[in-house]
Amino acid sequence: MGNFIQLILEPLKEVYLEFIKFLPKLLAMLIVVLIGIFAARVVRAVLMKFMKAIKFDSWSDRMGLTGVMRKGDLWAKPSVALGSIVYWVLIIVAVMAGLSALRLQAIDNLVSSFVLYLPRALSAVVILVFGYIVAGFIARAVLIAGVNKGYHYAKIVAEAIRLLLIVLILAMAMEQLQVAPSIVLAAFSIIFGGIVLTLSIAFGVGAIETVKKIIEKETAAKKEETKDEIEHI
Amino acid sequence: MADFYQTGIITTLHKLGRSSLERLEVELQEHSRMRPVTLVLPALYSEFEGQAMPKIVEELAKVKYLQAIVLILGQASDKEFRKARDFMAPIPYEVKIIHNDGKRIREIYETIRRNGLDPGKDGKGRSAWLAYGYVIAGGKSYAIALHDCDILTYNREMLARLCYPVVNSNLDYVFCKGFYSRVTNKMHGRVTRLLVTPLVRSIQNLIGAHEFLTFLDSFRYPLAGEFCMTTDMARVNRIPWDWGLEVGSLAEVYRNYSPRRVCQVDIAETYEHKHQALSAEDPEKGLMKMTVDICKSLFRTLASDGVVFSDGFFKSLSVTYLRRAEDTITKYEADAAINGLTFDRHEEAKAVDSFTKALSLGAQAFLEDPLSMPLIPNWNRVTSAIPGILDMLKKAVDEDNR
Repeated sequence: MGNFIQLILEPLKEVYLEFIKFLPKLLAMLIVVLIGIFAARVVRAVLMKFMKAIKFDSWSDRMGLTGVMRKGDLWAKPSVALGSIVYWVLIIVAVMAGLSALRLQAIDNLVSSFVLYLPRALSAVVILVFGYIVAGFIARAVLIAGVNKGYHYAKIVAEAIRLLLIVLILAMAMEQLQVAPSIVLAAFSIIFGGIVLTLSIAFGVGAIETVKKIIEKETAAKKEETKDEIEHI
Repeated sequence: MADFYQTGIITTLHKLGRSSLERLEVELQEHSRMRPVTLVLPALYSEFEGQAMPKIVEELAKVKYLQAIVLILGQASDKEFRKARDFMAPIPYEVKIIHNDGKRIREIYETIRRNGLDPGKDGKGRSAWLAYGYVIAGGKSYAIALHDCDILTYNREMLARLCYPVVNSNLDYVFCKGFYSRVTNKMHGRVTRLLVTPLVRSIQNLIGAHEFLTFLDSFRYPLAGEFCMTTDMARVNRIPWDWGLEVGSLAEVYRNYSPRRVCQVDIAETYEHKHQALSAEDPEKGLMKMTVDICKSLFRTLASDGVVFSDGFFKSLSVTYLRRAEDTITKYEADAAINGLTFDRHEEAKAVDSFTKALSLGAQAFLEDPLSMPLIPNWNRVTSAIPGILDMLKKAVDEDNR
């Protein structure tokens, strides 16, 4: 009977000893996570104050960032949304750092791949945000220039340019994220190339008469110039 | 039946002979193909529980020329918003309900505010303004008609007569205001009868002929809440968010358009809606609040047109007004007598006393702060500050209605 009890207790004892060995790591993880949560909250609060000071929301409204959020049915203030993104990224980082304190091989691998991927994700976000702003700026500049020149299709041209730039930006972001890079590259080449080719053909076909007139005019002008070379005595 | 006298510098369209609603609606259907019209209805949820709304919905369901209805719902929870949607379901064409207290619309107001523009306080003015923004964002309507949701005597002829002068391209008016007699067994409309008309004429008495006062005096019912206008006008006009809504809106119409393109139309034999208490003791409530705001709006509009006001002027104005208002009571007493209407002369005199007090309060507020205009910026101004605001508004309303 004593042996039988020993048989039951032995594994439990081993588990207990393992747990005692593991406990400091667990505590370390919890402390890291708690510090991370605290730090994330502080960073979010500081970031919110900073964004309020620089009137980030108002800037986003004018730059069209708020519009993009609304299109996606997100109705938080841009500063709150950015604050939340930063907060959750920091929380994830803290959890990852905490998990690495457990010194488990599988988790270590996960953490290192996450850490390696993080800069890529951040660059993709930066590319998306600034790309969208630049696309909006260029499209608006084209629209204003087109309207000032009196082009009837200024808005369509501006929107087409915006669309092209957004396709380019999306491809860049996807490439950065390494999401099926070969497929993204091929798809981008096909879509972008297709759009450019379509525009070229459309412009070429539509401009046949105009180009013909320009060439005729040029030729006529050259003939006039040749005539002028003959001088009467 | 009305007379055919043309009042003042705007066109008056009377109700003469036997007008046919069917003919009007057929013509409106024709004209609205080229000039689509949207009806804006500012409503509180409490009005859905009243007597007027079922009749209004029943009548609107029969209208065939409206492109859409945009109802802006105030003081309603999410559950009440859904109930209001079900209530409007019998209408067989597009009905959009703007949930004024919903999170998306609150964020729209917040976006406007943080960009240095003031959409004002909650009320009919702000609600109407937001609804115009939604109609402008849609980009499909040539004209916008608006009426209240507490009209107990509603019939669709009101709407047809209101829309006709603007939607009919042969007439080509840009703004049309409704008028009607507010009579049951007695005369209502105290603020128009005993304040606005005597006050406008008293100011004319003191400063001489003034085009805006002539314009205002041309309206038979300047405080009527029913009108139709072009969408372009909704884009350029600023709207007061306080009780000076009607007077302030007319001031904007006068400022931006020729009176030749403005008309008023007789829309109903009789018109009955909820009545406001006088609230003589509290200038922050009821008719007193309304009259103070109207006076302020009138003074500020005239001041912006170059009229100089002083303390002495206002003292003379109070006396002139009181005298003129008392004369007006006598006229209406005779009018009531010949028509067999109940007429409480004492109540009318009490109202005039309160309005005189309101006039002084309005004058005092004007002298203390002549620049404080409770005007919501027009949509051109808002879109220049926040280029994507109309798209955001459209998205907010469409999502709420999904």
